[in-house]
Amino acid sequence: MKRTVLKTAFLAASLFIAAPTLAHAAWTKTWVIEWFEPAHIYGAKTGVIDPGTDCPAGTNNSKPEIDWVDVMVKAGYTREEAVWLRDPANPTRSPVNGQNQMAFRGKDRANVYINPTSFPESGNFLPVSGTQAEGINLDGNATTGFVSPAGEKGIDNNFYKALGCWKTYRAPERLSSGALQFNDTMRNGSYTLVVVASGEGKDPMNDPNVTLGIYNSPDKLVKDGAGNISRDYTFRIKPDAKLEAVFKAKSVKGRITSTEAMDEVWMRNPGYDRELQLLKARIDFTMKEDGTLRGYVGGYRPWMPVYVGWVNARGPVIESLTWVSLPDVYYALQRYADYAPTPGGERTHISFALRVDAIPAYVMKPDASTTVAAATSYKAQAPAVVAAVAPASPYRAGGTVDGIVVGRGGAVSQTPDQLRPPAARIAAGTQ
Amino acid sequence: MSLNFNRRSMLRGLLGGSAVCMGIPALDIFLDENGLAFADGAKLPTRFGTYFWGLGLTDTPTGGSRWVPTKTGAGYEITPELESLKAVKNKVSVFSGFRVIGDGRPNIVHWSGHAAILSGQAPAATNRMDGASFDTRIADAIGTGTRFKSIEASASGKVVSFSTRTGTSYSTPETSPIALYTRLFGEGFQDPNSPVWKPDPSIMLRQSVLSAVTDQRAALMAGVGKADQIKLDQYFSSLRDMENQLAIQLQRPEKCEACVIPASPVEKPKAASVDVVNSNTKQMARLLAMGLACNQTRVFNMVHTPGSSETYVAGSSKIYHQITHDEPTDAKLGYQVETSKLAALVMQGFGEFLNEMDAIKEGDGTLLDHSLVMGFSDTGYAKIHSLENIPMFLAGGANGKHKAGQHIATKGEPVTRLSLTAMQIAGAPVGEFGVGAMKTARPLTEVMA
Amino acid sequence: MRKRISLALLAAAAVAVSGGVGMTALAQSGAAAPATIVKVATRRITESQYRNTIRDAFGPEIKINARFEPEKREGGLMAIGASDLSITSSGFEQYFSLAKSISDQVLDPKVRDTHVPCKPADAKKADDACTKAFVEKYGEMFYRRPLTAGEVAARVKTAQLGAAGAEDFYAGLKLALTSLLVAPEFMFRVETAEPDPANPKQYRLDGYTKAARLSYLFWDAAPDAELRAAAASGALHTKAGLDAQIARLQASPRMQDGARAFFIDMMQFEAFDGINKDPANYPKFSQAVADSAREQTLKTVVDLLVTKKRDYRDLFSSNETFINRHLASVYNVPYASAQEWAPYTFPAESQRAGILTQVTFLSLFSHPGASSPTKRGVKIHEIFMCEPTPEPPADVDFSKVQALDKGTVRTRLLAHMENEGCASCHRVSDPPGLALEHFDGLGQLRTKENGTVIDVSAEVEGKKFTGAPGLAKYLRDDKRIPQCLVRNVYAYGVGRPTDERDEDYIADQTKAFGAKGYKYPELIGQIATTPEFFKVRVPSGATPVPPGPPAKIAQAPAGANR
Repeated sequence: MKRTVLKTAFLAASLFIAAPTLAHAAWTKTWVIEWFEPAHIYGAKTGVIDPGTDCPAGTNNSKPEIDWVDVMVKAGYTREEAVWLRDPANPTRSPVNGQNQMAFRGKDRANVYINPTSFPESGNFLPVSGTQAEGINLDGNATTGFVSPAGEKGIDNNFYKALGCWKTYRAPERLSSGALQFNDTMRNGSYTLVVVASGEGKDPMNDPNVTLGIYNSPDKLVKDGAGNISRDYTFRIKPDAKLEAVFKAKSVKGRITSTEAMDEVWMRNPGYDRELQLLKARIDFTMKEDGTLRGYVGGYRPWMPVYVGWVNARGPVIESLTWVSLPDVYYALQRYADYAPTPGGERTHISFALRVDAIPAYVMKPDASTTVAAATSYKAQAPAVVAAVAPASPYRAGGTVDGIVVGRGGAVSQTPDQLRPPAARIAAGTQ
Repeated sequence: MSLNFNRRSMLRGLLGGSAVCMGIPALDIFLDENGLAFADGAKLPTRFGTYFWGLGLTDTPTGGSRWVPTKTGAGYEITPELESLKAVKNKVSVFSGFRVIGDGRPNIVHWSGHAAILSGQAPAATNRMDGASFDTRIADAIGTGTRFKSIEASASGKVVSFSTRTGTSYSTPETSPIALYTRLFGEGFQDPNSPVWKPDPSIMLRQSVLSAVTDQRAALMAGVGKADQIKLDQYFSSLRDMENQLAIQLQRPEKCEACVIPASPVEKPKAASVDVVNSNTKQMARLLAMGLACNQTRVFNMVHTPGSSETYVAGSSKIYHQITHDEPTDAKLGYQVETSKLAALVMQGFGEFLNEMDAIKEGDGTLLDHSLVMGFSDTGYAKIHSLENIPMFLAGGANGKHKAGQHIATKGEPVTRLSLTAMQIAGAPVGEFGVGAMKTARPLTEVMA
Repeated sequence: MRKRISLALLAAAAVAVSGGVGMTALAQSGAAAPATIVKVATRRITESQYRNTIRDAFGPEIKINARFEPEKREGGLMAIGASDLSITSSGFEQYFSLAKSISDQVLDPKVRDTHVPCKPADAKKADDACTKAFVEKYGEMFYRRPLTAGEVAARVKTAQLGAAGAEDFYAGLKLALTSLLVAPEFMFRVETAEPDPANPKQYRLDGYTKAARLSYLFWDAAPDAELRAAAASGALHTKAGLDAQIARLQASPRMQDGARAFFIDMMQFEAFDGINKDPANYPKFSQAVADSAREQTLKTVVDLLVTKKRDYRDLFSSNETFINRHLASVYNVPYASAQEWAPYTFPAESQRAGILTQVTFLSLFSHPGASSPTKRGVKIHEIFMCEPTPEPPADVDFSKVQALDKGTVRTRLLAHMENEGCASCHRVSDPPGLALEHFDGLGQLRTKENGTVIDVSAEVEGKKFTGAPGLAKYLRDDKRIPQCLVRNVYAYGVGRPTDERDEDYIADQTKAFGAKGYKYPELIGQIATTPEFFKVRVPSGATPVPPGPPAKIAQAPAGANR
């Protein structure tokens, strides 16, 4: 799958270079993204995990936490073994990387992270059940999907439906751990995205021909005296042969919406899977009076990288921290996947939207000589893409192999061979 | 300078350097009657220590906090997670709102926070700092006259210390009370009250540096005007104060009345549960405090639990670290209940540590009154590894140099300002600290006397 | 040993006798006795002078991290305050430990060969000849004159002791170097006068003192070898010799160091140490912004006055400057460079004009949460016109002035005008500040305050102007501006405030400054060539003493004269 995606990317890139680009626009407005996260609605009026219209049973279906001893016993381990596996005093349980043995609970002790279907669905990982969602109508069909808070019909956001009740993503705006984690790193300077909008008309607020681009920048965000991202800083565009998303749009009363779906765009993702591919991508932004920009970037994203991202973030750690059985995430994404790039083919993609907040900033051409004149493509200036050799397995990232950390952080094992607690511990009755 | 002294070179030094002793007889007027200490009562040396614990204290996602007092300045209120500091509250200053500015370096979780506090810069890689930890600068300034320049201890049994001169290799800590006991009071222990005592030869050499200056006094003073004479007199009087300090170090030290050699602790199995770590902390505090009172060292670095703390409540299958990340914020209370409970438990270690130091009477006050302990953690809101609002404390009077008992609240000032403050209060001759956006020459003068 | 001491004692006794005679003669007759010297001033060296000296001696790699004792502003300048400062006990501790740290770095085995001009015969033992060579070489740099034999001998002795103790030549050398670095002869510039051979009844500064005055004024550093040679040969006492050295100093890029130090002093940059802004009002303020602003102003001054040799008064009107990314955000302009700093010219619509409209001046002389026309006006008069404002009367009701939530500051300041005690000063101080009111307390452009349009018109003594550009023109044409610079340069150089006896001189020099187009480097050179720059004022209570062969005084047993 990965290979086809890459190929598509190349095709798209070459198409873009060939296309005539806008040299100078009548107007250009520029921003830097100070926060972006999956566009999820927290359906309760108060709190951060309360039951609400989105998840009537509350976050994680109000299941407080998975009883992992129980899970392991059901997977064929003895209770004594299961208790010992979960004991913090067990030297095979790394306080940093977790208990690797958690992986081997599939059929015939298969590693469930890389063989999710070897482990049954728990039945506790419920989808969002409300009718309301944020995002964009991607398929043009008002009868499918959710209703937006403003009443717009046909909002396609099955990513929200699949994962919206999961503890990782469910919280009021800017408060979910998933959003906090990746925005925090961005705000501390590890990556930057800028937004450029330009048009041909006289009035930026009402212009039938708007182009809007989202680009990477090599310049870091800077925090102000109150700890917020400072306005009016300058950022260069970093040409990237892959990560660049340019949209054709129009503006009406300051609202910039797509005039056509872009077949394929890529941008930095606030998640473990860092590169976000969006097919049939669209935008819906509003230019606010205070100069800020707020809205959505939507499209169909491949769902496997989402799952792989969580597995590679260390399966046992993610399962413990987010109270989820990772195969449930796999089943949910697969179930609600709603887009097949090839008509009639496999539904490898799922509808999705990012909610984006951007503040006024100066955006410069890559050489910093002048401010950008238009939202055009900078791919031609990017260093050539080195044809990546597809890895043997997607489940290898940083120090993890197949979702677990091997050979670091003490005596961890990849196979079930250290299951019995020491005799002294059994005698002491600490299990 | 590495000094290689043997009896013969000592003798040679003494003989060849009659100038060394020249100034001393004249100093008598500055000494009190027993001829041992400064007449102004500054009898006891300032000691310095760091105290580290992992996982910070609890903030809430909506901006509240379980530890930051609402009142600033003197007389702050005790918050739930600071409960264990109640007994020594007036000797502890609380610092909130300080942050690590990464200058584009990544947030290396459970490392960037304390590495930046100690080295003055967000680190580029885990387990590395870009320079020495600042405690070594203090040890260089105040820790040279004792048997150990500094002592490191780790209460969780883990071999972890953050004291480094290179940024790559770290001092080896004592990881059990018994090991700490042996280090301090086992073989090589120098009983400050023992009748056998030898002066430190390097002090005589430092004196000779000054006597070369005073040798030229007459020539310098010749032909100066009245105003200049007053100024130069002050210079020489300042120099004489320095000579005095050195001379006192050549005198037999005052009897350490507070020094009572403790009994050896009992060996216990190692464990990381919070009750065991706290009990180790308390025992180690007692030993370290006596090590200070008995003049074995002036500087210590204590680690309660490492950055990604493995401590847990005995009987629980979850460790504290995991709870900080996975526990949801309680809908009604607005904070992570279990996390906050554990934070308070972990803080008991700090409270007991300070109580032990405060229990040792020394001179007119307690050992704590003559010490400065900087307590800090690796993170603010641990759930997201926040580098903002990292809890930090200064405890102890530092011989009157720390205006203790205050809460200093800022909005995002760099943590290095407190590191610099601690260095200056403890007596390290450092004017600025930190790199890039964390570089500062501004100590927190509010807490400096 | 015994023999040497007794010889020295004899010599010292002889000196004491002849000294006594000289003193008496001078005191009684009022005529200068032959061969007596007098020390006219001791000026503590500043932090930057200390740093520059160490850098010149050992290179920029040596780290200097210490708390320098605070400096003191007197008569408008730190340079004047330095003549009043001594070293406290805690300060001495700091300098002592700094000296030790510098010695450790200089004589680190990895680099010491580049610093020590010789090799010891045996690295485990003292080597007096090598120590002497080392002490003489660096002593001359630190003391700004050759060391006396006694000064050298004292360090040789120290080094012997250290080498014996540690069985290491370099350990001894460290002690000797440390001793030089804490010596008052280094920490203080001891300005010495000697009888003027051309005019036997008068004193003149000795050659080394002249060299130091020149070097600190032009370069903010101790004299280099060439300048010391000119001092030794007596060349500095001749017009040709002095002119040659001034031309050399002027031509050097190190003039920039001198200009920086002078303007840091004159413009009261110590205010940056305490700058504070309320993040609620000025979220863009940060330490990085403050540091950048300081550097911007210094870069502007050096570029305009030293590099481009422009008219000094252009400082108030020129919009050529430098910015970095932080400042670009505050000025709300794009930063068109990938480098750390970039040249930048403010366009007319920015309403900016000269250094008074940079963040430095606008933010330093404001409140943490608001601008202050009064502070700005007071500082314009104090810093650039040498006209300090008296302290406000004690009984002012500030309640009306401090209601910040309504109207503009202009209406609030009217409250002062009801009280004649206030009005007499505010009439002078406020108008220039009010003209700068389009810049808030951080220096950001604005046109309204609390929703009310800000009026930036001003009137001083019948002269009307509007906004920052109007103020710039007003200041550029004000004769007090160049005169104040002349006064400051002279006072900075000689280390004492000007008084009524100097007025004619200042007036003449201001005229000459103008005649040459108000060029700062010219002004420095011009002042340095006047006899007034080296004029001796014998301080009260100074008893001239014979210079004597230094070796003899120095070899007297230490403490004999105590």
